[in-house]
Amino acid sequence: MTMGMNLVNEGAEAKIYETRVFGKSILVKVRQPKAYRVKELDTSIRVSRTRKEAHAMLLAKSKGAKVPAVLAYGKYEIYMEKAEGILLRDILSNADKHVFEQAGRELGKLHNAGIAHGDFTPANILVKGGKNSKIIIIDFGLSTFTSSEEEQALDVLLMKRSIGKDQFSSFLAGYSSYAKSGIVLSKLAEIEKRGRYQSRTLSSAV
Amino acid sequence: MLVLGIESSAHTFGVGIVENGKILANEKEMYKIGNKGIIPAKVAEFHARSARRVIERAIAHAGVSLRDISGIGYTRGPGIGTCLQIGMLSAKTLAYRLGVPIVPVNHAVAHIEIAKHFSNMKDPLAVYVSGGNSQILKLENQHYAVLGETFDIGIGNMLDNFARAAGLNPAWGSTVAKLALRGKFVEMPYTVKGMDFTFTGLLTYATKQIGKVPIEDLCYSLQEVAFSMLCEAAERALMLTKSKEICVCGGVAQSDRLRQMLALMAKEHGARLGYAPNEYNADNGAMIAYVAGEALSKGYSVPIDKVDIEQRYRIEKAKV
Repeated sequence: MTMGMNLVNEGAEAKIYETRVFGKSILVKVRQPKAYRVKELDTSIRVSRTRKEAHAMLLAKSKGAKVPAVLAYGKYEIYMEKAEGILLRDILSNADKHVFEQAGRELGKLHNAGIAHGDFTPANILVKGGKNSKIIIIDFGLSTFTSSEEEQALDVLLMKRSIGKDQFSSFLAGYSSYAKSGIVLSKLAEIEKRGRYQSRTLSSAV
Repeated sequence: MLVLGIESSAHTFGVGIVENGKILANEKEMYKIGNKGIIPAKVAEFHARSARRVIERAIAHAGVSLRDISGIGYTRGPGIGTCLQIGMLSAKTLAYRLGVPIVPVNHAVAHIEIAKHFSNMKDPLAVYVSGGNSQILKLENQHYAVLGETFDIGIGNMLDNFARAAGLNPAWGSTVAKLALRGKFVEMPYTVKGMDFTFTGLLTYATKQIGKVPIEDLCYSLQEVAFSMLCEAAERALMLTKSKEICVCGGVAQSDRLRQMLALMAKEHGARLGYAPNEYNADNGAMIAYVAGEALSKGYSVPIDKVDIEQRYRIEKAKV
């Protein structure tokens, strides 16, 4: 299955290959088996996550969010359009504030569509172009279908922890386009006050 | 330098004696939970009665005299308040009588440090799994940073709770592990969020299946699912930190199956798994004495009137 494909990235769960179809580059994300899991559990996790990820990307795209197009998917693999760009993580200190604003707007679109991304960080945002750069959200491997404010607030929290204060303000300006953003932000304040994890948030902010 | 350490955060009253990193004694008495679990007031009473006996046994086993002790360590937290009090008071009394310095020790740090000592690792990714805690940690600027952890209860607590609900005796994880050897897999809820995880959903589900599904199958699947969740979270942390060493520690680190799974995961990434012998994974005084000894050798101790306990002593707040 992976013949004629170049391994371009390897995550904890999946390998990503690049290949060409009709002269066009596409990516294939293949969820890997884990030797530590019993076979029944391993198969069930890989199949359900692959399906969920593909469905989340398809739904997000249909609701106008900037995500790679899913071309096809199988039991363990997703074939998708190859999105060009640089990871926001790698240009974090130089990124223009409208990049963060866009990121906020895109997250709002996902939440409006009933998708929580689950790993919304600068490592999963691609930036393309110079002055008027556009962004694309990638890696829906941890996404869930939910409209729970708690899950939405966790997406915002993850971003808050990963970027600077001013950058986060720009991000919020974009996120405010989401109708329920006010409720989500009060949920966020509540989560941050929870005792057990307060010092953890502080220590990770150092 | 001869250091005596006292551990009393939960069901175990433990006393260890360490001389310059070498463990001379590790004595303990454990409150019998039967099928009831830990009742704080009763365990504290048990500890109060065991204290003198366990200290004397440790001294005798180490072949030293109480007068030779040059420092005292005790568990400051996290743990059950009433239990911590007894250990702290015993340590304070000893330090006062002997006129030696006293060092408060974070229980979780001690578990990790003793595992590092036995596995000969300097800066591993640590998987700390016990009754009350389940965390994935890495040393950063002299503090253990929590990369991932349980959002609700500790994995040991989860296994114990299930054992109690199923009427197993003794009602804890090792009994679940024994029954699991004859079980086969049934689906159960699996919840990992990045490097964090939750156990209550799994526990509720498994508990509701008692009587409907053979107990062996429930024990097997509960273990497989819970341990797989830990492995997945640890794997993500391993990739993030690019660490080549993992150490597993805490009471649940005594599980052969968990060790086997973590070792398989580590191997896939060219990493090595380490752990301490079982008597040092369960709560013990030696790990407290060991950390106190390290602290004293760097000149750290606290004035005796500042000695206290903290039930929710978060690991990232402890300086290492």
